[in-house]
Amino acid sequence: MQRIKTIVLEDLNISILTGVTLLILLLCAFAFGNSMYSLKNIQSMAFQIPEFGFLALAMMMSNLIGGIDLSIIATANTVAVFTALLLNGSWPLGLDGWPLVIAAAIIGMLISLLFGLFNGLLIARTSAPPIIATLGTMTLFQGIGMALTGGSSVGNIIAEFAELGKLKLLEIPFIFWLFLLAAGILWFVLTYTAFGRSLYLYGGNSVAARFSAISNERLCISVFLITGLLAGLSGLIILSRVNSAKVGYGDSYLLQTMIVCVIGGIHPNGGIGKVQGVVIAVLLMRVMSSAFTIMSLSPYTKKLIWGFMLLLVLGLNYMVSVFYEARKRKRERKGEGV
Amino acid sequence: MRGKLDQFQKILLGVIVLYSIFVTIKNPAFFSMETLFDLIRTSSASMIVAIGLLVVMISGGIDVSFMAVALFGSYTTINLMISLGINSLVFAFGFSALLGLLLGLVNALLINWLKLPTFIITLGTQNLFHGIMTTFISDKSFGAGVLPSCLHGFGQAVLLKLPTENGSTALTVSLIPVALAGILTWFLLYHTMIGRGIVAIGNDEEAARRAGFRPFFLRLFVYGYFGILSGVMGIVYTAQNNALYPNKLVGDELMVVAAVVIGGTKITGGQGKILGAVLGTAIIYLLNSTLILIGLSSSWNNLFVGAILVISVAVTSYQERIKNRNHLIFTE
Repeated sequence: MQRIKTIVLEDLNISILTGVTLLILLLCAFAFGNSMYSLKNIQSMAFQIPEFGFLALAMMMSNLIGGIDLSIIATANTVAVFTALLLNGSWPLGLDGWPLVIAAAIIGMLISLLFGLFNGLLIARTSAPPIIATLGTMTLFQGIGMALTGGSSVGNIIAEFAELGKLKLLEIPFIFWLFLLAAGILWFVLTYTAFGRSLYLYGGNSVAARFSAISNERLCISVFLITGLLAGLSGLIILSRVNSAKVGYGDSYLLQTMIVCVIGGIHPNGGIGKVQGVVIAVLLMRVMSSAFTIMSLSPYTKKLIWGFMLLLVLGLNYMVSVFYEARKRKRERKGEGV
Repeated sequence: MRGKLDQFQKILLGVIVLYSIFVTIKNPAFFSMETLFDLIRTSSASMIVAIGLLVVMISGGIDVSFMAVALFGSYTTINLMISLGINSLVFAFGFSALLGLLLGLVNALLINWLKLPTFIITLGTQNLFHGIMTTFISDKSFGAGVLPSCLHGFGQAVLLKLPTENGSTALTVSLIPVALAGILTWFLLYHTMIGRGIVAIGNDEEAARRAGFRPFFLRLFVYGYFGILSGVMGIVYTAQNNALYPNKLVGDELMVVAAVVIGGTKITGGQGKILGAVLGTAIIYLLNSTLILIGLSSSWNNLFVGAILVISVAVTSYQERIKNRNHLIFTE
């Protein structure tokens, strides 16, 4: 019993999150039964998770260093627009079939890295606050997409690319594997590499990090490169799933990614949080969205629930941290007594 | 007044003048009183909230819930007016401002309690307020026919009428709330202890606390004041459009944030000018309305606004950084 208690208390946030997720999964089982847990619905959820999951991971990376990246959705959409223009032959590459798909995907990723680099340079070299810098780049990237498309959607992409979005390995969508892979890599990097350690230190106290011989600027640029790449991958997934690219797709994702990060235990001030938490939160979010769809709630009601949830979780986190502090103080007092 | 213009505002004014000259060369129809009056009419609602947002940003915070507050205030008020048959401008502005005040206080209390980035908190309340309004009050749209006639009167009222070649052009009365908001805010910021306190907590909350200011009360005041301005803005907006929809306004808040930042306001607090916020809003609306005149479609709008925003953020932050590094201050 004592051991269970230590495991639960060691990472209270993830324990609570896992508990709540299981509870909601059970509730859904009682309330909706087969309409929620049929193979078909689970598969359709698995198809919808990755595009949002990648955005959530991107938001997580920027939150971990105490910043925020508002430009992720603009990046995703504009990268999708560029790739779609390559894939439907508007900008001919002189290739066809799978070589074209691979080339276009690589160019798409390079563009997303470029966007990330722009964000990173702007924030690292001018010390601009991330929220305002990325507000600017969000408008700018959106503007690039709008100027290219005039606001209409770009479709007619070659069929091979759309197949990627439908591909299944072992009954699980290929794009879902991709999401798990990305989460796994991030988990490894954040937990076991020097880069991960310095990233947490930078997020916790950037001035201390600077005076601990960590190159803040290089770190900041690499984080925004990763953020840009993750957002761009989300754009490619959207393109392969929806078969077309449009500026303004998924505007509501911005709030949801922030909710997912907060629920997943990422502290908005930076330095605290784990990939596992975000992945669980993404799954929880998808199940709840699915439940809302089954209940056929109006978009307004969904807004109400998401907004309420964000504030509720922030409040709960605050109370948990107060509880932690009190426990720590109690322990210290005990230590003094002995 | 000229002596009070700082470097940044001079650049902004220069950009506006140069751009206007450029547009005039491309399209002489641009240079007229009509354009000016039209710009004032379309931008006045946004200017009211831009001035309010400026106060919030000077205090070191940011608020993205104001459009939801404006919509909540005006929508609820007008709904009430229609169902009770009230037809009074005073009631419309008063009640909407009251609702705005209440919602603003909710923001302030949450921010003070949770001590987290205000962007995230107000993003939550934005959705919460909008959701509450549309779920529990109503989500119907109201056309011109059902709206109280006093609103229509306000939207059409004219301060000044000038004859032109084809008819006449008029300065609408919506300039008055903007001017009032500007003067009131100027007085508050520069001639009261509250205003000095707002600047102080924006610069350094801990130092302000030790100097005897009470951040909690200042925060209540700042967000409450912004709520009032948002409520007023909602009514001005509805009167101008002469229609009421439950899904307008919300979603446009980042444009206003951009306008205030372009105006040279520091998002980390302590620095910002009313004239800057007004000029920033004017630039965005100028671009909005003139891109067609220089032969570009309106889909180029974001590209230009984004570029201006990025440049202005980069310039202000870089200057700050150089200054800080020279004094061996490290903020990151």
